[in-house]
Amino acid sequence: MGKKKKRAASKVWCYYCDREFDDEKILVQHQKAKHFKCHACHKKLSTASGMAIHVLQVHKEAVTKVPNAKPGRESTEIEIYGMQGIPPDVLAAHYGEEDEEAPPKVAKVEPRSAQLAANIVPGALGVRYPPQPTLGTVPPVYNPALSVPPGGWAMPPRAQPWFPPYPAVSVTPPMPAPLPPMQQPLFPVQAAVPPTSSATFPSSLQITPPGLPSSSIAQNSPADLKSLVAHASVGPTIADGSVVNSHSYASGPNTGGPSIGPPPVITNKAPATQPATNEVYLVWDDEAMSMEERRMSLPKYQVHDETSQMNSIDAAIDRRISESRLAGRMAF
Amino acid sequence: MAGFGAAPAGNHNPNKSFEVIQPPSDSVSSLSFSPRTNHLVATSWDNQVRCWELTRNGASVTSVPKASMSHDQPVLCSAWKDDGTTVFSGGCDKQAKMWSLMSGGQPVTVAMHDAPIKEIAWIPEMNVLVTGSWDKTLKYWDTRQSNPVHTQQLPERCYALTVRHPLMVVGTADRNLVVFNLQNPQAEFKRITSPLKYQTRCVAAFPDQQGFLVGSIEGRVGVHHLDDSQISKNFTFKCHRDNNDIYSVNSLNFHPVYHTFATAGSDGAFNFWDKDSKQRLKAMSRCSQPIPCSAFNNDGTIYAYSVCYDWSKGAENHNPATAKTYIFLHSPQEAEVKAKPRVGTSNRK
Repeated sequence: MGKKKKRAASKVWCYYCDREFDDEKILVQHQKAKHFKCHACHKKLSTASGMAIHVLQVHKEAVTKVPNAKPGRESTEIEIYGMQGIPPDVLAAHYGEEDEEAPPKVAKVEPRSAQLAANIVPGALGVRYPPQPTLGTVPPVYNPALSVPPGGWAMPPRAQPWFPPYPAVSVTPPMPAPLPPMQQPLFPVQAAVPPTSSATFPSSLQITPPGLPSSSIAQNSPADLKSLVAHASVGPTIADGSVVNSHSYASGPNTGGPSIGPPPVITNKAPATQPATNEVYLVWDDEAMSMEERRMSLPKYQVHDETSQMNSIDAAIDRRISESRLAGRMAF
Repeated sequence: MAGFGAAPAGNHNPNKSFEVIQPPSDSVSSLSFSPRTNHLVATSWDNQVRCWELTRNGASVTSVPKASMSHDQPVLCSAWKDDGTTVFSGGCDKQAKMWSLMSGGQPVTVAMHDAPIKEIAWIPEMNVLVTGSWDKTLKYWDTRQSNPVHTQQLPERCYALTVRHPLMVVGTADRNLVVFNLQNPQAEFKRITSPLKYQTRCVAAFPDQQGFLVGSIEGRVGVHHLDDSQISKNFTFKCHRDNNDIYSVNSLNFHPVYHTFATAGSDGAFNFWDKDSKQRLKAMSRCSQPIPCSAFNNDGTIYAYSVCYDWSKGAENHNPATAKTYIFLHSPQEAEVKAKPRVGTSNRK
């Protein structure tokens, strides 16, 4: 199929790295994955300056350069989104070059960008977790959830156990399915796991009754928050960065959107601390006890405590005593 | 929430649900429907366990109080036996009682712990009662014997429990989630730390036993699959939040027919969700008080929820003189609870 020379202005291209793409949608996905991605938590932002602000606010680091950008194109101040915001001189220079090349080289440009597009497309569509994942893209899907745990210390261990199982994703067995097909994808996990597992739980890996899968030790480290964090990060956190949340949850007739929550800054903080950058707060924030336990500590609910522990005779006597005490104590 | 001396502002029934008559005089701690009939049991901080018979009349539902019995201290949990004849309840008196509604006899104590019993469930496949307590144990009881059949140590105080044989999940303090395969109940199948970063409030096992939901005090629900091959389907989502306020998710209930689920929170709202299409099916209006507990009846045609203070803002915000307790019945429309395929753009990241 012959392509016209100036179709779609001869293809869109990325300001930061000069790569070309078939359409702007893919270009934007590329930019988000390569240039607007937080290096610490892998959250994808929508612009370079947005990413810089995120890193500053959340990870307390100053970002001066756009990652993966060519020299001279690294400024975070210039607002680029897709093809928008490109300074006219750069734009002209790019097309000026292309014009020169075009006549003899149009044949080369096409295969090159087609190749790029071919690279990009599967990755960009990686949201459906293809069996052969482009690891460059899929982790970002999971990683935003890693803004949940404190800091980046969860990162390194996360990398190990969770990549291998990606191929397993394409296996969606109903539980009664025979174990052997499941065990195959589990092997990489098992291999990766022993180093990280605390192995306190000698859970049976092999034969399990239908209804419950052979367990992964990776998830068994009780105190190992990291693996759990990673575990949590594997599925996209729907609500992470309210952006994702509002896309993922298509609400019906909606009364005020409780699902569109506060920005993910909250989830970055360790539990029981209030995020400093936002005024949000937990209505019930006591990690040490539950609401019912706190309520139980109220004297009015404990009045009969003595009676329930004694035998009936003592209980009767005590009840009489406590009732008279109650009468005196009635304050509310 | 009410301040001192003021009646709860706002509408306590904005969803125009049917009100259950003669509600408890103090907050409701649990709601359970009979697995066979439309009988509803509510346990309360007023020490009572009450039972109503509900009847549908066309579009509306009416309630008739049937019976009640009492513990010595606040009752925290309830469960029905699978034959719909008997109710189990447990609470702060550290006992669980078995109450046979059919025979009208006196309730009998069938379980004891060293601390309040927070969760209770009847497991028909094993003919045992399981109780979870703040004494960090889970105990299994043959109701005819006074000693537990088995005592299972938990890492921390039991806060939440869900059973779908053979899957049982216990949520404890410190965000532990202990998974049991009831075919081997004496061993923990798996112990994980909650995917949510905050205190576990409630858990609900998937009807197909492939995993469970977990809700926390931080307005978030985690969807967790047990099998590693389904890890990618795990996710969490935020809910029950209102700008700067993050409310606890108090209750998770699966619809018995459609397998979608409802969440109810301290913000006084309840929502219906579909985890497979990752959608919220319906957001209901917020009531003026929190919803501490809720339940579907056996065929999903009635969703009962209680509107009363759950202590989410501490004792300071409780005024016993003006506090009101309600139990409402909502008839879910099919559109609210039936699973829907996703429409619109694919999930671009």
